[in-house]
Amino acid sequence: MLQSMGAAWNPVGRVRAARYYRGNDRRAGGGGEAGMNKPIDSFVAANDNLAGEARRWDAETRGPFVAKNPERRDPFVTQAMKWPIKPLYTPTDLEEAGFDYLTDLGFPGEYPYTRSTRPNGHRSDFWTMTQVTGFGRGEEWSRRARYMLDQGLSGLILEYDLATTNGYDSDDPMVEGEVGRAGMALDSLEDLEAAFDLPFDKLKYLMSVCNAPQPVNLAMVIAALEKKGVDPQDFVLHIVNGILIEYTCVGRYIYPPEHGLRIATDCIEYIIRNHPNWAPLSIISAQLQPARANPVQEIAFSLAIACAYIDATLERGLDIDTVAPYLNHFVVNVDMDFFEGVCKFRAFRKCWARLMKERYGATRPEALKIRMMTSPTTTALTLQQPLNNIGRLAIMATACALGGAGEAMTTPLYDEAHALPAEDAIRVGAALQHIVAHETGVAETIDPLAGSYYVETLTKQLEDAAFAEMDRIFAMGGATKAIEQGYFQRALGREQYERNKDIEEGRRKWIGVNHLVLPEEKREIEIFRLDDSMEDDQAAKVRALRARRDQAAVDAALEKVRRAARNGDNLVPPCLEAVKAYATHGELCNVMREVFGVHTPDSQLSGV
Amino acid sequence: MADYQGRRLRVLLAKLGMDTHTVGITIIGHALREAGMEVIFTGLKQTPEMVVAAAVQEDVDVIGISTLSAGHTRSLPKLARLLREAGAEDKLLLAGGVIPEEDKPILLEAGVGKIFTMGTDTRDIVRFLEQWWAEKQAAETV
Amino acid sequence: MGIAADLLDGKTAAGARAISWLDDGDPRGAEVIKRIFAGTGRAHVIGITGPPGAGKSTLTNMIVGELRARDKRVGVVAIDPSSPFTGGAILGDRVRMARHTLDPGVFIRSIGTRGAAGGLSRSTHDACLVLDAMGFDMVIVETVGVGQDEIDVVNLAHTTVIVGVPGLGDEVQAVKAGILEAGEIFVVNKADRDGYEAARRQFELMLHLREQSRPAETWTPPLLRAVASAREGGVEIVDAICAHRAHLDATGGFERRSGLREREQALALLRERLARRAIAHAGDSILAEVEARRLDPYSAVERLTGQES
Repeated sequence: MLQSMGAAWNPVGRVRAARYYRGNDRRAGGGGEAGMNKPIDSFVAANDNLAGEARRWDAETRGPFVAKNPERRDPFVTQAMKWPIKPLYTPTDLEEAGFDYLTDLGFPGEYPYTRSTRPNGHRSDFWTMTQVTGFGRGEEWSRRARYMLDQGLSGLILEYDLATTNGYDSDDPMVEGEVGRAGMALDSLEDLEAAFDLPFDKLKYLMSVCNAPQPVNLAMVIAALEKKGVDPQDFVLHIVNGILIEYTCVGRYIYPPEHGLRIATDCIEYIIRNHPNWAPLSIISAQLQPARANPVQEIAFSLAIACAYIDATLERGLDIDTVAPYLNHFVVNVDMDFFEGVCKFRAFRKCWARLMKERYGATRPEALKIRMMTSPTTTALTLQQPLNNIGRLAIMATACALGGAGEAMTTPLYDEAHALPAEDAIRVGAALQHIVAHETGVAETIDPLAGSYYVETLTKQLEDAAFAEMDRIFAMGGATKAIEQGYFQRALGREQYERNKDIEEGRRKWIGVNHLVLPEEKREIEIFRLDDSMEDDQAAKVRALRARRDQAAVDAALEKVRRAARNGDNLVPPCLEAVKAYATHGELCNVMREVFGVHTPDSQLSGV
Repeated sequence: MADYQGRRLRVLLAKLGMDTHTVGITIIGHALREAGMEVIFTGLKQTPEMVVAAAVQEDVDVIGISTLSAGHTRSLPKLARLLREAGAEDKLLLAGGVIPEEDKPILLEAGVGKIFTMGTDTRDIVRFLEQWWAEKQAAETV
Repeated sequence: MGIAADLLDGKTAAGARAISWLDDGDPRGAEVIKRIFAGTGRAHVIGITGPPGAGKSTLTNMIVGELRARDKRVGVVAIDPSSPFTGGAILGDRVRMARHTLDPGVFIRSIGTRGAAGGLSRSTHDACLVLDAMGFDMVIVETVGVGQDEIDVVNLAHTTVIVGVPGLGDEVQAVKAGILEAGEIFVVNKADRDGYEAARRQFELMLHLREQSRPAETWTPPLLRAVASAREGGVEIVDAICAHRAHLDATGGFERRSGLREREQALALLRERLARRAIAHAGDSILAEVEARRLDPYSAVERLTGQES
């Protein structure tokens, strides 16, 4: 009968009840006490027999059933990690995992924060409910932003077009067809001055999503805010500044990794020293998911990358308790495997806390606590039968909440697989979060799934595997070296291929795609089409700017940037001077190209 | 040299413009390799001119362009035209990724041989190429 | 034939097609070689070899840039491993040489090993002849990075550049015999990394031992440093390549190596062809006997060659 349960069943002898109950000092001697003070003797006797009972159950009850009703999968594995899933988890599994409540979980708001970084979970405040909607470009962005502020939002996200994020001006032939499509076209301070025609009394938080040319972008935003007379203390600017993840996936980088890290650290240092209420980094671990990273890779890669930023910032003369609270912003998604998602969040909190304590000796809670923005992943959504996606989003949002949704949750739109955001989709996405928050009760107690034999086993497995992977990366010399060697790219390339095969060969069922497919379904892909004249206008605008500005002042400012780049000085101050003289985005990025060179990567296609 | 077994199919994969999503092209590249084809990957941020130059030097039979942004209605026809000008129009030009229905006729008209939208089973792509190749070989020996 | 004439004229598509024929073993490839052979022997063939992770492609990219700055026309043959199971390959070396794609003075060809061991493909030699005939001054052969079995390139190239990198273990650092004895120029790439000094010392030691064991050797292999990703070291490497060329010219070595290379190629072709003919003649039956262990290999070969018509 044991064979029918697969290789994963490991009957073990005694459960050491004393260990499991370490926190409980009330070892009653005799019998007959009511409620929670059950005599420990009787418990010990029962658990001694647990493994035996489990074997008996499998032989007498489950086994015969399975003999007549074969299992529907072989093997049962988790979706991303492909770890075996046993039919049943019991206290024996916790015993084997070495689980200990106080060491592994602790209490909310206390090290190691596994159950929650918040002392009262979501009982005082829910997570901030946000949504991503497409942002327009330039004046259009401004109009949309003003509308959203009027609707009561107090935070906005500023995204840029591919020309900008790759470090080109709008009139550069390299970026033909890209200007203003994926976000705002930012060629010079002029563009931001126009965009920042906003009621800053309502706008309290701005996230600027830029990576490769971050010092240039940061300088532009600071200069634009100055021009608007905004008090930087009264306002939070959050720059994504996440260049290292761009090397591993997505690919919006310009310079070689060590220079990319250096200029990112310039921005981090500048903000810590000059604008301590701002946030200089967001590690968007979620970006690894479309690249098919599994949960262990998500945790390990993004934490190793965080360490690279931390190490670089520590070298600037700051200490860990100062630095870590600035560099602990993560964006983490869940996928459809419910328990992998929940356990990933718990493991993430614990891993960050352990890393800060064990590797760096951090002591302040602000340094030991991770900050997460969470979300259902769009990679789980299908083009086919889009209404199914509402169900998927609801399930994933629930997993987020059960995992501890962190500071904020975002719900993508159910229609997001390349269609225009329709009003219904926006409304449904927002409502979903409220339904999870108010109707399900999952957030009424803190970390309700704790103690589940499966959940705790899986959480510990993820934690152990993540640390093993991190050790591998540290042995290579850290995340930057691993990027240079193409380690992440190759690992992700392999995952991409394998996961795609799982779907094509039916090992993973995806409703609408390879299961319950509607044969006659015709799904229209709509993409956002831009008026081509917009690109021409923007190109003309930047050309006109170059013609009328004080070229001598610009050249002098660019030379200062060049020198700072060569000498290793912080690039933000000279960039600030240059953008005020109306040096363009592309010009500044090119100066850095001269000094740093350009990165040509190992592709994910190399090395299977 | 081994007995002549016929040509081995060579496929060039590239991404045009600023779009850097590589998952689709990675999956297809591996699938083609598993099918015994040689895959030449030219990288990201390619211009149509670069793709044509590489395609000629590598004497590829098929060119696969992956596109997720909206520039394809300009860049793909340009690529097709440059291939013709270089005398390389016998190379099959494939487009894959996010391509709306209404753009397909334009692309096919301009010289794209076949379009595989996102989510196409890689086994279908391999089968298509093998069949195309077999037909081409047969036509050449006639 | 059109292809041969066109490629002697420097036409890219013709040269590319000829290389494909040779790579596939198409009989037309052999015909092309017959026609262009007289037009070859001029190009300086440079091998670039080293363990995986040494940064050969980036280094090649840098060397090509420097050669172009000196007005040399350069062909590159970049070899990557083919899958032993499917025969397919992902040939990704071009990615790191993208900036030369549009330069008409550069021709880059990616080739899969297609089952050959030794770091090269069976067609590499002929591909070099094609590029030679097309008029390229230098032909760079960038081998697969498999470690210490890369002897083949040494026989093929006039000048072999061995690339090492800090941080690899002893066994991968090509410290083993063979490759280290045969290279002419040694480069420690990624010299900005930890472990550079140690790697350099390793090479120095080996080169010293080599020098001692070859008192008659007139060429002193330079040990250079490079950080190819930052474009450092290219000038020195190309200087060394040119110096080696001058040395070969002065000692008659250039022609000698060119000749020896062709002799080796002829022998290789002969081996393959004879084996094929013998087996085709005798059928698989004799080899089947060997596989069933009813016949030993020596007797089998006597029978096979005895049956040569």
